[in-house]
Amino acid sequence: MASLTHARARWTSTDLALIGVFAALVAASIVVPGIPVGFLGVPITLQTLAVTLCGLTLGAGRGSAAVALYVLLGTIGLPIFSLFRGGPGVLAGPSGGYIVGFIAAAAVSGLIAGRGIRGQHKASWLSAAALAAVLIIHAFGTAWFLVIGKSWGAAIAADVIYYPGDLIKGAVAVVVALALHRAFPDLLRRRR
Amino acid sequence: MRGHGFLTGAYIRGNSPLHKAPVGLKVIALLLISILALSLTSTIVLSALLVVTALLYIVARLPWSRLGRTLQASAPVVVVLGAFQWWLAGPVVAWHVVAIVLCTILASGLLTGTTEHSAVLDALARWISPLRRLGADPERFALTVSVMLRSLPFIVGSFQDVRDAARARGLEHNVRARTLPVLITTVAYARQTGEAMMARGLGDDDELG
Repeated sequence: MASLTHARARWTSTDLALIGVFAALVAASIVVPGIPVGFLGVPITLQTLAVTLCGLTLGAGRGSAAVALYVLLGTIGLPIFSLFRGGPGVLAGPSGGYIVGFIAAAAVSGLIAGRGIRGQHKASWLSAAALAAVLIIHAFGTAWFLVIGKSWGAAIAADVIYYPGDLIKGAVAVVVALALHRAFPDLLRRRR
Repeated sequence: MRGHGFLTGAYIRGNSPLHKAPVGLKVIALLLISILALSLTSTIVLSALLVVTALLYIVARLPWSRLGRTLQASAPVVVVLGAFQWWLAGPVVAWHVVAIVLCTILASGLLTGTTEHSAVLDALARWISPLRRLGADPERFALTVSVMLRSLPFIVGSFQDVRDAARARGLEHNVRARTLPVLITTVAYARQTGEAMMARGLGDDDELG
């Protein structure tokens, strides 16, 4: 079947398992108690960390697939978005930009991580990847605040309070990803 | 199994019109409520929309405690948000923002309260199968989804174990100590699952190719 799918490298069973399990990791990150304070209705959870880890450990393709799977299942109604919400309305609400940004963040950070994982300066490449992920998530979040009618000032004020926490989570993601690649050396390196 | 409660706990069994409505219809209807809430400029119409959304809880015969619990969970966020907007732009804008957020929260609670998650997955499988022509592979997709749902309780449980362990060592506020062990377990679990799948010829090229 499907000559189209054979044109690109196919995912193995282990790849599919990693995608499914990391999608579950992102969903599980909303259960872990976070810091439920925020000006514009976006609770701080371990989500940014889980999303960044998808890119940093799985690379662009599998990482963004895992996050996209999470977003898809949340959108059609599983209660796996923050505050145990689910359904398309969440994407229209104030957290919508962040949620869509998760996918782009996993893709871009995965691209950078995949590039850097073979070289000498793994830590620097992974840090750049994590920073890119945080910046992309916030760019999407702020852009969406603007779309749903906040002024520039309010949008930035609402977004900026999450930067310190997310930068810390980005740094933790680098440490954790480095340890994971040490423990499982072929996690990202061996791509056919 | 530990940690599964939040996925199944949202659904409340019933046979109201909303319970019986097709998943796709509900998803679209609730999306429309949210888009409508976002695009309305009239305060009165927006408030009416909020009331209608709340009244749908009666149509769905969901217990009032459910509505209360949903509102309670989002209360801190909504209060801070409203206060901030009031200070920034006055009471009318504040009410608009709060009403929009409440609308989306209530709408999502309606969907998860009246839809069993197996129904959601069945609907997803139906929607995805026409994409086969475009090179999508519904079987491999469904397999990945089932891996995700099966591993969710495992990962949530792992987070709880690791939190207890970190607490015992006085590292409760150490994000690294609370995540790294979970991730190691998670990757190992994924690989075992992948190997088990391969051993059974699931999700591999040869079997489907």
